[in-house]
Amino acid sequence: MTLWFLRGIRRGVVTTRYPARPDGSAKYLPTPPAFRQRALTVHVADDLAGLCPSGALRREDRVLVYDVGRCTACGRCAAAAPHAVTPSGEFELAATGRSELIKRIQLRESR
Amino acid sequence: MTAEELRQTVARQFGRSLHIRTLDTGSCAVCEQEIRLLAAPHYDLHRLGFFFTPAPRHADLLLVTGPMIRAFATAARKTYDAMPGPKVVVATGACALGGVYPEDPFTHGTVDAVLPVDVWIPGCPPSPLALLQGLGVAVGRLAERVRDLPFTAPDDSERSRGDS
Repeated sequence: MTLWFLRGIRRGVVTTRYPARPDGSAKYLPTPPAFRQRALTVHVADDLAGLCPSGALRREDRVLVYDVGRCTACGRCAAAAPHAVTPSGEFELAATGRSELIKRIQLRESR
Repeated sequence: MTAEELRQTVARQFGRSLHIRTLDTGSCAVCEQEIRLLAAPHYDLHRLGFFFTPAPRHADLLLVTGPMIRAFATAARKTYDAMPGPKVVVATGACALGGVYPEDPFTHGTVDAVLPVDVWIPGCPPSPLALLQGLGVAVGRLAERVRDLPFTAPDDSERSRGDS
């Protein structure tokens, strides 16, 4: 504490870095889903879009439009299609533009 | 003003000290719980030079939670107008980003229907770590990560084999 204080006075910087060290609780947070493109067919995408309570998922022709901003990380998509959806582990998602939160995920050609 | 200009302005004018006014526009108070946790010793917002202030006149940053109910829109606009410039508006949580409530006669559904939002923080609720990162992005100290995240997972070979 004393060293920290003296270092702060010497350098003139009294604030510390974010994060000072990795946070151990981060791995327990619910996180938005990530999608396995190999398992994403049109049918799976339609099912997931119908399931999403906050309207974060939408299918546009052969693209799954995923609005990260609307996602509440409820995990319903991951529970319904565990082969296609998995937690992404990402939670530091602040964006300076709304459009940067909207992800377009290409669907697989279905046979 | 573009995002890049804003970042430079914020870095120049706010330096390393920033005062935050929180604004609840009809949220369920879980976002507020997470915001309160920021001041606790584990996250310790003040080490980064951020402080909470009760008055919009002393605030540089407006941390808005909730879906912006129509009854509150005038008050939100007045709060924004009362803040001295330069000012930053941060929309916090899925409600503020339009995820939970649709636009209807009672709510606007999103914060940016009423206020000019500069930084969006997703999450329901955003964890204190996500909020800290969002505040860092708002003052231009941290890089924005979500732009480069694809939200696609690598294929699990075992599952793919079972699937095909």
